[in-house]
Amino acid sequence: MRSVAEIRGFALEGARVLSQEKDLAGFEIFASTAEHRIARLSYTSDIPCRGVEEMKSLHADGFQVRIVMCRDGHETGGAAEAGEFTLSALRDALGRARRATVVDPHFPGFPHQPRKLAAPPPELRDLARASDAMLAACAWRVIGGALDAYGRDAAAQREHPGLVLGGDVSIIRDRIAIASSGFPDVRTDAGAHFSSSVTALVESLDAKGTAGALGGSVAEMREASVSMGRDAVRRALASGGGVRPRSGSYRVVLGPQPVAEILNYMVMGSLTTGAFHAASSAYHGRFGARVMDERLSLVDDPAARTGAVHRRITCEGLPAAKVELVRDGRLVGLLSNHYDAHRLESDDHRAEKLGPSGAGMTFAAASGYRLGEGGGRRFDAHPGAAGTNVIFRARGGVAPAAMMRAVGEGVYIGRIWYTYPINGQRAGDFTCTVTGDSWMIRNGELAEPLAPNCVRISANIAQVFDAPLAAGSRAMPAIVWGSPEAYYVAPIAVADIALAEVAPTA
Amino acid sequence: MADRDLFDAIDFLRREGDALMRRFVRSHRAAAWAELRFEAVSHRSGAAINGEPREGNETETAAIGVTVHAEDRSGAIGHGHTGAEIGRLAAEPTRLARAVRAALEEAYERARASAREKGALMSRLGARAAALAGVVVAERAPVRAEVAAVYQRDPRAIDVDELKRIALDASRAAAGLGDEIAYNWVGATTELRHEVFLDSAGSFISQAFAFSQGDCYVVAQSGEGHQESYDTIGQQRGFECLETGWRGELMPNADLGRFAVELAQEARELAAAPVLKPPDREVVVVSDPHFNALVAHEIVGHPSEADRALKMEAAYAGRSWFLRSLADNQLGRQVGSTLLSACSDPSLDGYGHYRYDHEGTPGRRVMHLERGNFTGFLNSRATAAALGVEPNGSARASEGWHVPLIRMSNTFFMPGETPPERIIAEVERGYYVCGHAIPSIAESRENFRISARRVYEIENGRIGRLYRSGSVISDSRSFFMNVDAVGNDLRLIAIPNCGKGQPMQVKRMSNGGPTMRSRARLGGG
Repeated sequence: MRSVAEIRGFALEGARVLSQEKDLAGFEIFASTAEHRIARLSYTSDIPCRGVEEMKSLHADGFQVRIVMCRDGHETGGAAEAGEFTLSALRDALGRARRATVVDPHFPGFPHQPRKLAAPPPELRDLARASDAMLAACAWRVIGGALDAYGRDAAAQREHPGLVLGGDVSIIRDRIAIASSGFPDVRTDAGAHFSSSVTALVESLDAKGTAGALGGSVAEMREASVSMGRDAVRRALASGGGVRPRSGSYRVVLGPQPVAEILNYMVMGSLTTGAFHAASSAYHGRFGARVMDERLSLVDDPAARTGAVHRRITCEGLPAAKVELVRDGRLVGLLSNHYDAHRLESDDHRAEKLGPSGAGMTFAAASGYRLGEGGGRRFDAHPGAAGTNVIFRARGGVAPAAMMRAVGEGVYIGRIWYTYPINGQRAGDFTCTVTGDSWMIRNGELAEPLAPNCVRISANIAQVFDAPLAAGSRAMPAIVWGSPEAYYVAPIAVADIALAEVAPTA
Repeated sequence: MADRDLFDAIDFLRREGDALMRRFVRSHRAAAWAELRFEAVSHRSGAAINGEPREGNETETAAIGVTVHAEDRSGAIGHGHTGAEIGRLAAEPTRLARAVRAALEEAYERARASAREKGALMSRLGARAAALAGVVVAERAPVRAEVAAVYQRDPRAIDVDELKRIALDASRAAAGLGDEIAYNWVGATTELRHEVFLDSAGSFISQAFAFSQGDCYVVAQSGEGHQESYDTIGQQRGFECLETGWRGELMPNADLGRFAVELAQEARELAAAPVLKPPDREVVVVSDPHFNALVAHEIVGHPSEADRALKMEAAYAGRSWFLRSLADNQLGRQVGSTLLSACSDPSLDGYGHYRYDHEGTPGRRVMHLERGNFTGFLNSRATAAALGVEPNGSARASEGWHVPLIRMSNTFFMPGETPPERIIAEVERGYYVCGHAIPSIAESRENFRISARRVYEIENGRIGRLYRSGSVISDSRSFFMNVDAVGNDLRLIAIPNCGKGQPMQVKRMSNGGPTMRSRARLGGG
């Protein structure tokens, strides 16, 4: 990876060059260097396998230049260049940015802040320096822990146990520098975090268990690698011989992973200024209104002390800030980038889209990130609106045992999959299947396990969040595949959730 | 990019790549195998929102991906990969060679680190880690080949203004339908992608592709409700297929303007239609080619990927209902009606066309279903060996910096002989589902709920009332076994965004099928 000093120096020098271009009314240079290192786990007891399928890294270094022309303050264009931080590359990108310009009547200019930001602290996270050897050791420790735990169980004596172990240990690192005609300084930031998820299956028992971890230090990653394989296998072994509930309406506890998955696929996308402008938010016309139970709150916090993701500035150079999205059940904030905040504020249909309480609202561009496929910041991505550490809490939350009692008779759902807005985001309808880590609840206690993949949920987000029977007292970490956000969520108990039987595979 | 041309790197690699790879393997004693993938991409696009310009883009870039297998003293083999976007430095041979060598070195050290840990674990666990003892890779003779892109208008010669204009015109036309169109976004893209594959056994494959794609997203609303619709047209051709449309037999498309207007008109009509209130029983369902494209994708294509079947994707995208274990699977067994056949065929002129995969194996037609029997998986060299079959050239990465995964090409249900009109006319009472929207699939794809853009009642052989927010829910085997009519109207649909892998790779392909008739439950809103 390039150093912060190198990309900062490039941004500074580039700004000097662009400020001399007479036809430009404004400019922005976003330089980034990002690395995603992944040890992908793939162990199968009955099929020859590699164990660690591959150790890989993906490097994305480059910059993006955006310009606004003197001849029209709404004429703007941009271009990106990979792999090189030179003035020659900048001039080449500038030529393409000029060719790419459009006159966008809603372009609000680049973010403007006349005061310098405080200098960033040095890059303290030791994950920024973690070696491949360390990552390999962690990945193989997960597999070793899983095989040790499995070897102690009687199921290991079967001729074809069908033990499957999958997942990954990943480190995401990025550094950015932004120079802009709207800023008096070059702004920099750096981040590093790890995520790991492990799935264990024992196919001879039709059993499945999972484990996951998120964090910001080498010590946390090492610690997680000791326990995750073991925990996933133990959970799988504990779930063997599971039952298949009949189709019907159930009272359920949704554990941290299902709550995170529903938030990720069904709620977060609706909590952006862009979604409101596009008339595609599930909360269309309901800004300021109660959209969840009054005990529930949802916040995005890029500086959360326990959060895996730490961001000091956005990818538009503005201070990254905590955004309260839902407070005491009311929709009070939206994630936004600079463009979308202005676009919604100037939208002729704003009153209809936001609703009566949104009339005078302005939205801070505190969440404008340019993210790549692995969640790291990426030089050629457009500024979108995304969360960082998404925290879902409940006032008056209760202990797990009290949640089970609140359900009485029902199902604990610990893992769901393929959760999609089946009728579009705005409708709020979703469907998914229950894939593992799930149990029947009888007399307010966990009873027999559910077979993996035995039921499909079809519901609406209102059924989940409007009137829960109870919510957990602790927000626990959860990973959603493909999501850039780290989730910290309280489980919730809900009534009247439709479950439909899925036939077992032959 | 007048003075430095990224695409010149192809000639350099043609001349020097072989020696570069052989030198690396010779000088690294533990290196058992090395591959290099290189791509140069020229991309131009334009987008408009609500009839107003939004953006233009012109990018030329390059990337490399190298894979190295290294053997530890214990005999354990580790696998390392390095992918990097190298951009314009690809245009300078010295720097390109340096970048390739650095990537090989990094992947090699990574593979060795993994091999050391693997060897130590195998030594500690002995027979309990027997499955780690060896993955064989199917042999393949070195290949040398050159494949040219097909286009009338070279994507590199298109002025980005043309893409901005065509997107703007289409967006204006959609917005012009009236206030019911609350929002529309239209994008137009044309791209030339030139890939090179090299391996340490002496292969050199150069393949070029032209892609042109139009996308449209519409939100329509009425007093009755709202509708979000999204669709794509795309061809492995030049800009001409967006400007004037394409009349190919398998995958025709309207020009971008007409396509956007038709999608917006449909969304407007749907916003005023009632939400489907589904019957509480199984019903007769006739599905059109666009809907069946997503069924083919999710229920045949993905579970036919051997990496998924062999549990390598168990933590992400799930397993396959076609293979429980090497001993207990559906190969040769009936999983559908005898009317049902399906295949993947990269040789066809669809969005998923290619000649060689990213392991250098020639792509070929793979039959998945033959008269209802499951017959074969898409595979890579390693998974082909695990299954004891020949590699069929299905390992492909979405970008040069990624590792190849097993991917669909043009994957579809094969046509029958019945005219679609007759399939509908034979239905006394049922539903006609048209256009795919959103899928949700059970873990091994043994069950699905896939939403349609439009659902019509069928009564006495006639198409009746239109509904929105309808979906088909079924166990996969049941849906396939109940197919009792297959149309003669095969169409392929461009799928621009199939996600798989960690990190997610988004791949283009085609899926499709003819009109079909089966039985299923329906879901509503």
